[in-house]
This record gives sequence, structure tokens and C-alpha cells, in this order.
Amino acid sequence: MKRITIDPITRLEGHGRIEIFLDDAGAVQNCYFQIPELRGFEKFCEGRPAEEVPQIVSRICGV
Amino acid sequence: MSKLKLASYWAAACGGCDVAILDINEKIVDVANVADIVFWPIAVDFKYSDVEAYADGYIDVCLFHGAIRNSEGEHIAKLLRQKSKVMVAFGSCAVAGGIPGLANFKRREDIFERVYIESNSTQNPERVFPQTKFAVPEGELELPEFYKDVKCLADVVDVDYFMPGCPPTADQIWAVVQVIASGALPPKGAFVGCSNKTMCDECKRVKTEKKVKKFYRPYEIMIDSEKCLLEQGLTCMGPVTRAGCGNQCTSANLPCRGCYGPVDGVIDQGAKYISALASIVDADTPEEADRIISQIVDPAGTFYRYGLPGSLLRRAK
Repeated sequence: MKRITIDPITRLEGHGRIEIFLDDAGAVQNCYFQIPELRGFEKFCEGRPAEEVPQIVSRICGV
Repeated sequence: MSKLKLASYWAAACGGCDVAILDINEKIVDVANVADIVFWPIAVDFKYSDVEAYADGYIDVCLFHGAIRNSEGEHIAKLLRQKSKVMVAFGSCAVAGGIPGLANFKRREDIFERVYIESNSTQNPERVFPQTKFAVPEGELELPEFYKDVKCLADVVDVDYFMPGCPPTADQIWAVVQVIASGALPPKGAFVGCSNKTMCDECKRVKTEKKVKKFYRPYEIMIDSEKCLLEQGLTCMGPVTRAGCGNQCTSANLPCRGCYGPVDGVIDQGAKYISALASIVDADTPEEADRIISQIVDPAGTFYRYGLPGSLLRRAK
């Protein structure tokens, strides 16, 4: 089985990788999209003052 | 003279640094006159395999954004270090951890629990978490290891220059590009694209005697747009923050949050700020000082907003 890896996915904000598996005839057998990234804003915003959160979460995506 | 070979990469970042580079607007054409881009995921389609194929030192300058959050960030940092003559920690995340560095106030398992179990949009009764290796019918998939701690770029590779800011301003980026293109490189380890003065030194607000009886949250007062924010009882980090941003936040009535980090010679911005606060609290007794200081909400998360991983604390216990 042949494997094609597209790493990284480009021209977007963030990190992504695509793994494509081909059968012997060259047809796509299966395909996996992976996001090899996590920062954890959901957690580290906890405990921060509410008025500070807009400045923090604007760093989720600066694009 | 042959063109400079330029790379730009993001690890744990938001892309704001990349956009800041594009914010030099039409000057990007001038950059193209002096430099060829050989890797820049946000803008051009080079793969990691292309970088692996470059000879060591092939890249003249690598602008590395983002903190080191996982094993992929560290791996690519080491790869780019090997392939680059000059490595620049570009932006607050690469320099000191930045906003992603706030994760060092939390534990890895608690972050996973919040993100993959508790978040409102998630249903995960089988408690599936990311695995570094995962078998699928067609083969094995891999994900990077999510580290226990967020690290700075200099924690994993040798860094030549540091360019702080969240993000660095377009003017400063352009100035630094010109210096690099001229070949007149500053001494190794230098902070570039910024000043060694403090934000306070460059702030135009009127400063008188700093004496604070009460600290406020911004919504509790009508902020005087002419007067020093700290003197109004707002926790402005200006006294302990490196200048270079052009006072953008304070000009908008927002207290400085310290994204440019401390000036040369100061190893811990938060500790320096605590020292600064101690000198302005207007208390007659220790009890009154305690009462005034306790009005500050989330002091650790405020004083180490952009630099916990690069501080002496590095993380919360």
C-alpha cells in the first residue's frame, strides 16, 4: 500500500497534515486529516479577568 | 550579490507575526528584491521534506515565530537551526512563550480534560485523547507529543537574535530586514527591532508622583486619556516593559501588558513589576499595603502575561 504525506498543509493559519493511503491500483483507500497542534486557550483563559480575555483570545488566530 | 534565502516558520503561534511581516505592505516587493523565500507555510507551498533536502546553512535567515509546545515544534526548530545561518526568535511567543505560555499556569492533563472532555461542543464518552502513535487499518499514524511545559525557542536551539513584540511592528520588521540585508549584523544574542528604554520612557501620558491608594479594573473608572494609567490605579506594565511597539495599547487607554518583555539586564519582568508596585503603593501600615495589593486581580496572569515560560518561575507548580 502506497502512502502520500502532505506535511505541512500551507497557506492557512494553523498546522495540518494529510495522510493518504493508496491501494495497489493507485486508488485512494483512505485519507486522514490531522491537526498536530493544541495550545489550550479553553483552559488557560480560566482565571483570567473577563476584561483581559479579548486581548488574549485575539491570539487564537492573528490572520 | 546573491539574494538572501529567507525562511519563516510558526510553532505554537497565531499567525499574527506572519501577518505583521505582510503589514510592511508594498515594501514586501523590496524584500523580494533582496531575498528569496525558501520556506514560509502561511504564504508559500514548501514542505518539511523540502527543508530536509536543503544543505546545512542553506537558509541565510530564519524568522521563527511561536512557542515550543510539542515535539513537532522542537523538531522543526532543530531542523531550521541546522539549515539556517541566522536564527531569529521572532515575536513574544518565540522569545518568552507569549500567550500560549499562559498554559504553564495549568497542568497538561487538565488542559486535555477541558479541551477533549468538558468543552461544550465535545461529546467524548469513551474519553479519547490524542495519541502519539495510533494504528489504523492502513498503517500507523503519528501525532506530536504535547509537552508538559511550554518552552521558548532558546530552550531548544541556539538563537542568534531576539525580536520581541506581539506582534513586532511592521516598521521595526522593515528596519531589521534592512539591517540583515546590509550584512551589518548586531552582536549575537542582541534584541533587535526594539529599544532598551522602557515603555514608560516613551509614553506621552502626563506623569506626576506615583502614589496608588487603590487599584482598579478598567471598567470601574472613567480613564483619563492624558494621565499616566498606573497613577490612575491601573496595572500598567509600562515601567518594566521594553519599548518598541509605539505605545499602541496605552494610546488606546489600555494598560500595557508587557508583550515586549523586560529591558536588558532584567531577568524576570513580573518580579521587577512587583518591585515597582512596592514603591508606589501609598500605605501607612503593612495591613493597608496588603489591602491595596489584594485589589489586583490575577497578578501572576497579568505580570507574566507574555513571558511565563521565559521567566524565573517558568510555570506554576
